[in-house]
Amino acid sequence: MPPYPPPDQPLPAPVALRLAGIDKAFGPPEARTVALRQTDFDARLGEIMMLVGPSGCGKTTLLSILAGTLAADAGDINVLGYRLGAMSQSALTRFRRRHIGFIFQQFNLIPTLSVWENVAVPLLIQGASRGDAQSQACALLASVGLGGREYERPGRLSGGQQQRVAIARALVHRPPLLVCDEPTSALDSHSGQQVMDLIGTFARDPLRTVIVVTHDPRIYRYADRMSEMEDGRITRVLATPADIAAAHPLN
Amino acid sequence: MNRLALRMLFGDHAKYLMLISGITFATILMAQGASLFCGLMSWTFAPLRNINVPVWVADPRVEQVNDNKPLRDTEVNRVLSVNGVAWAVPLYQGNSQALLFNGTSKLITLVGLDSSTLIGAPPVIVAGRLEDLRLPNTVIIDEYAVERLSEGLGRPLGIGDVFEINDHEARIVGICESFRSFTGGPFIYTTYARAVSEYVPPQRKMLSYVLAGPSPGVTPAEMAARIRAETGLGAFTGQEFMWSTVWWYVRNTGIPINVGTIVMIGFIIGTAISGQTFYAFVLENLRNLGALKAMGTDTATLCRMLVLQSLTVGLIGYGVGLGVVALLGRIALHIGKVPFLMTWHIPAGVLCAVLFICTLASLLGILKVARLEPAIVFRS
Repeated sequence: MPPYPPPDQPLPAPVALRLAGIDKAFGPPEARTVALRQTDFDARLGEIMMLVGPSGCGKTTLLSILAGTLAADAGDINVLGYRLGAMSQSALTRFRRRHIGFIFQQFNLIPTLSVWENVAVPLLIQGASRGDAQSQACALLASVGLGGREYERPGRLSGGQQQRVAIARALVHRPPLLVCDEPTSALDSHSGQQVMDLIGTFARDPLRTVIVVTHDPRIYRYADRMSEMEDGRITRVLATPADIAAAHPLN
Repeated sequence: MNRLALRMLFGDHAKYLMLISGITFATILMAQGASLFCGLMSWTFAPLRNINVPVWVADPRVEQVNDNKPLRDTEVNRVLSVNGVAWAVPLYQGNSQALLFNGTSKLITLVGLDSSTLIGAPPVIVAGRLEDLRLPNTVIIDEYAVERLSEGLGRPLGIGDVFEINDHEARIVGICESFRSFTGGPFIYTTYARAVSEYVPPQRKMLSYVLAGPSPGVTPAEMAARIRAETGLGAFTGQEFMWSTVWWYVRNTGIPINVGTIVMIGFIIGTAISGQTFYAFVLENLRNLGALKAMGTDTATLCRMLVLQSLTVGLIGYGVGLGVVALLGRIALHIGKVPFLMTWHIPAGVLCAVLFICTLASLLGILKVARLEPAIVFRS
């Protein structure tokens, strides 16, 4: 595999990613739905940044753009020093493979693979040997409390356990950016709590940025900072846990 | 990733079996139809398989081996006089009726061999001696005749049994193997002289074919050309006569259209079922494929995975289907009443068709995957 190129526009520490003036709309010109309007967003190394707002406000679109899975119509996207807007599709694919861990709302585990195989997928995509991938995946599964369940199918696990598998999968290749799309919305309160505890402790790393899209107020307390969105724009950034607690007293 | 692709395929047992079944069904329809066709065609040139000689000389209007037009006996000497002909012998071949023990009669194909050389005799005698054919009123019957002509006897016909052909006694002195004929009549071998003088009602011309062999250094094709040029008769090498016979049946009967339709239906059904099922498999896996794409699997790898899945299904289905057809073929050959011939061309052709079906099926998936946005995974 060729060496991965260095960042083309390094960001000043501790900024991990910066999106500026992002526009995104869907649909044909006569029936366009604007998802993002001149949106600015940034996140720092070592923090858990939450992106919150009502359904349809553009959170997931913004997350898709910063994860390199969706192209913006306009704006500058710098993630970990790489300008995503200037990248080809194949470069974006390599970028995601190397730099991003994904946690999805519906877990997106492959039901026909065993638990350890699901966790090993990012390593296998990177070309790791099956043996190496298996040992790393099993070690991580033990860390997230799923030791002994490695050879089961995901369908035999509870929702919370499946999301723990998804967390292990997202972290197994040690990505510097973890994107979580509504990680607790498909879980009951207790499981959601466990998953966020796991993300809050296990995924937290001084060299990793965690972006969590959610509209679940029960998990706001895990955030270091919070960006609030409405109608395709960031309307407010809460810069500390204290600000978050003050703005959302129920939590 | 290839192993992952196979695990994704094998993991969904129901879908996997559906895919295999589609290809298996298509393979069976295509291979069975084609083998049936080849079997039927092989029946048409059964005399050529039973009598393996270099050159057949016939009336110039003869197009196929089952439709002989009698020649004068003197044609044997005319053929023998052609330069490059080492030997030439007469052959009678025609349909006749055998009177059975229960008073009914059955169609037979009577073959009269040159009594001095017995050229054209069946290659495998399973009971008795070929030379005994030179004894008076004797015949050698094939195994099919044992089954067909035993009616009313209460046991299978055997050596020493006697039946009648054209009111003349026919004593069995041997039993041989032979290939089935298109008309369904068993082969009864006797000498040429006895056939034309006793077993067949007299006609002005009785010689069906002259069988001939070339001198050293002369090929059968050269000899056949010389015979045609010098005598004006029709002359074919064994291969030429076989193809001439096959093409005659292709041109003059509905067999190729009927069997070709079966093969075509097999291909269309196989393509439709496999393509549709594989496409449904891809659609159901779209979210998983999207997740793989989001996590950094490039489109080429995903396409390779789809092709691998499709080819795996195709080759397994092909193997199972061909195995089933081979089994059916063995049963058919054992029973002996169903035409079946699987030449190597049939598995090869069906394999090509299956690979085409798989390519088409994976192409449908590839088109979908190539256009797949990885952001699909963020949509609930």
